[in-house]
Amino acid sequence: MVDAHPSHEPVAPALVEVSGLSLPAAITHLPRPDPYLNVEDYEPEADAMALNMGPQHPSTHGVLRLKLFLDGEICFKAVPYVGYLHRGVEKLLENRTAIQSVPYVDKNDYVSPLTGELALVMAYEALLDVEPPPRAQVLRTILMELQRIASHHLWLGTFCLDMGGALGGGSSVFLYNFRERELILDLLEALTGQRMHYNALMVGGNRHDVPPGWEEKVLATMDRVEDRLAEYEAMTVDNHIFRSRTVGVGVLDPLLALEAGAGGANLRASGVDHDLRRDAPYAAYGQVDVRIPVETAGDCYARFLVRIAEMREAIRIVRLLVSGIPEGPIGALKPPRHVNAVKLPPGEVYVGIESPRGELGTYLISDGSPIPVRVKIRPPSLHAVSLLPYLCVGATVSDIVVILGSLDPILGEVDR
Amino acid sequence: MAVDETSRTFVHPLYGWLEKIPGLSVGLTTADAVLSWGLEHSLWVFPMATSCCGIEFMATMTSRFDMDQFGTFTRPTPRQCDVMVVAGTITVKMAPRVKRLWDMMPEPRWCVAMGSCAISGDFYRNLYAVVPGVDTFIPVDVYVPGCPPAPDHVHAGMHVLMEKIRQVRKGTFRPNADPAAREGLLRPSIPRIGDPDRDPALSRAQAEAAFRMDPGCQVTPRSEDERDVP
Amino acid sequence: MPDDVLALFRTRLGLEEVPPEGPFVPPETLPDIVAALKEMGFLLFLYCAATHWPATENRPEAFTVAYGLRRPGPGSSTARLRVRIPADGSIPTLSGLFAGADWQEREQYDLVGIHFEGHPDLRRLMLPEDWEGHPLRKDYAIDTHHFPWR
Ligand code: SF4
Repeated sequence: MVDAHPSHEPVAPALVEVSGLSLPAAITHLPRPDPYLNVEDYEPEADAMALNMGPQHPSTHGVLRLKLFLDGEICFKAVPYVGYLHRGVEKLLENRTAIQSVPYVDKNDYVSPLTGELALVMAYEALLDVEPPPRAQVLRTILMELQRIASHHLWLGTFCLDMGGALGGGSSVFLYNFRERELILDLLEALTGQRMHYNALMVGGNRHDVPPGWEEKVLATMDRVEDRLAEYEAMTVDNHIFRSRTVGVGVLDPLLALEAGAGGANLRASGVDHDLRRDAPYAAYGQVDVRIPVETAGDCYARFLVRIAEMREAIRIVRLLVSGIPEGPIGALKPPRHVNAVKLPPGEVYVGIESPRGELGTYLISDGSPIPVRVKIRPPSLHAVSLLPYLCVGATVSDIVVILGSLDPILGEVDR
Repeated sequence: MAVDETSRTFVHPLYGWLEKIPGLSVGLTTADAVLSWGLEHSLWVFPMATSCCGIEFMATMTSRFDMDQFGTFTRPTPRQCDVMVVAGTITVKMAPRVKRLWDMMPEPRWCVAMGSCAISGDFYRNLYAVVPGVDTFIPVDVYVPGCPPAPDHVHAGMHVLMEKIRQVRKGTFRPNADPAAREGLLRPSIPRIGDPDRDPALSRAQAEAAFRMDPGCQVTPRSEDERDVP
Repeated sequence: MPDDVLALFRTRLGLEEVPPEGPFVPPETLPDIVAALKEMGFLLFLYCAATHWPATENRPEAFTVAYGLRRPGPGSSTARLRVRIPADGSIPTLSGLFAGADWQEREQYDLVGIHFEGHPDLRRLMLPEDWEGHPLRKDYAIDTHHFPWR
């Protein structure tokens, strides 16, 4: 067994107060590397070399390109290049009406499409001042939590795959995770008819009502997923190799995380107690008491622990809500017959929700015509990738793969 | 071993000489059938996974759908692979990288375009940053439509590819043997958006058709003066 | 927006009413106001969104840039503000204050073509380096010819 890392011991860590926020003292105000270091000025101890990773690399989670400047095996500067998947969705949304635009945002964060839809739909609802009926709100909350479980499963699988042979051939956890992810996709498919890009929400409510027997199926699946979660924990939490690859690797300063705009588990693993589901409740999150897991070590292992705890919490929320879905309509507006059936009033809104990766926001300007003037999607993954120049410095190449995996960026959302 | 680009079969220099020996041609045919069987049941796949379809391709490789049962196997390097599965949107910035990876693959090689983005650019096709289909710069053997195609559809696509390999090796199907026809096939039959040969009336008709999802449905164009700095 | 932010905007900008979308801040005072907000606990950088407004008969071409910051923790709140700049104007960068502003500003420079003064590394983020034009401007057609691929 590896000796427990001091910061993972169950003692209350020392806290430091920064602008009214209590942060763990051990990892706050860490020295920040200069992301714009001039390579010429650096004096390497061993041989210096530039290494290119990507854009096609199995462990960059998509089409990310990283240029690493190495001193021996230690990286002293990392430059990420993004944009290999820039499809121009924002321009497209400026040419689409409120009803037409929902399927386009599915494809941004393709690991959790439903949260992308909710962020856009809620922005339109805030602009139009429409409140979805209670049944739609509860259904949306259940969908978001199911999506969070599916997304974290995919993350755990690929994260363990990145660590290669560490875990019994590397792909065991990956294969097990996809088995459970399929169960959740089955539930969503039963509801919406699609495995991936659901197009399940629309302005003012949901598009699909639950099929008969769906609630029981959800409960049964949740039991099964929870059982299997214990299996993954047995494979990873106390695994010697897993811990030595993750504990103390990629320590993220909570102040840097906040200033860089990181969110979700990346923030909460660094001791920032912040989650929009509790702090600015939307949909039906006000009706449940969401418990937010927080870790204080700030390393890859802490991010892993937070995501596992989030999966358990999501299972609990789904169980709570699915047994009491209120009766009633699932939409506040009449089903639209025209693509421009929804008339937008002039205005400017920003709505942020908690996606599995952090705060996913939509900033929308309308001037009163059926199509918006500007739609800006605030992508949590972009901010996670922008942390790499800070986190990679001082890490070895093999650790960089683990750090990148632990941040859980989705390149579709980075580039849009 | 030389490779005949157009039919994608092996042409060993010894072949022509061996075939002259009486009685050996039967043996050669059998050997060829065995080789062909081996070829089509050990397709190593290079997943050119750029976006959402890549996730679905990952799901295809896992235990529920189990692509390994056909001997299909993913390798992360193009140098060891026979099939490139292009899964995802190809953007202007990514296209040269895809081409370069394709050029790294050894012959014989095949390409499967998975998903409407790889086939035609999907609904991004007339956006400024997206390439309207991967067949505009590499030859595609099998198209698997869908957004994203379900894993069973990817299976079906791989079976079509196997069938194609078998038929090509048997000589019952010679795709694009005529280099001129091949050249023509590389160009889409309808000129794509951005092609100078494209008829502007076609674009207009397509856009109108897209909005005709309901009678009387139109997007009111926004006049310039209506917009104002807030 | 919470009361302390409204009070800050009122005293610093001499405004009577602060609209919910955020007040318009003169470009010169933007870093000071954002630094003051950061002191007040608005530590999470949310967004930087630039919009292009083409010229009409009534007004010349202009840009607006909107910023959002969030105070994390229970009872979280946002602070939003906007900056209006002329077509050839520029805006001071916030990348010294917020690490997250760095890439957001590069993205807005790339897609909308706003010049952020003092940014350490103002390169295109999404599109290839040799791309012509800024796609999110209103005079940039959505299907602009994009061959060759690079
Ligand atoms: S076809 Fe659909 S699922 Fe596939 S990459 Fe394109 S948008 Fe994504």
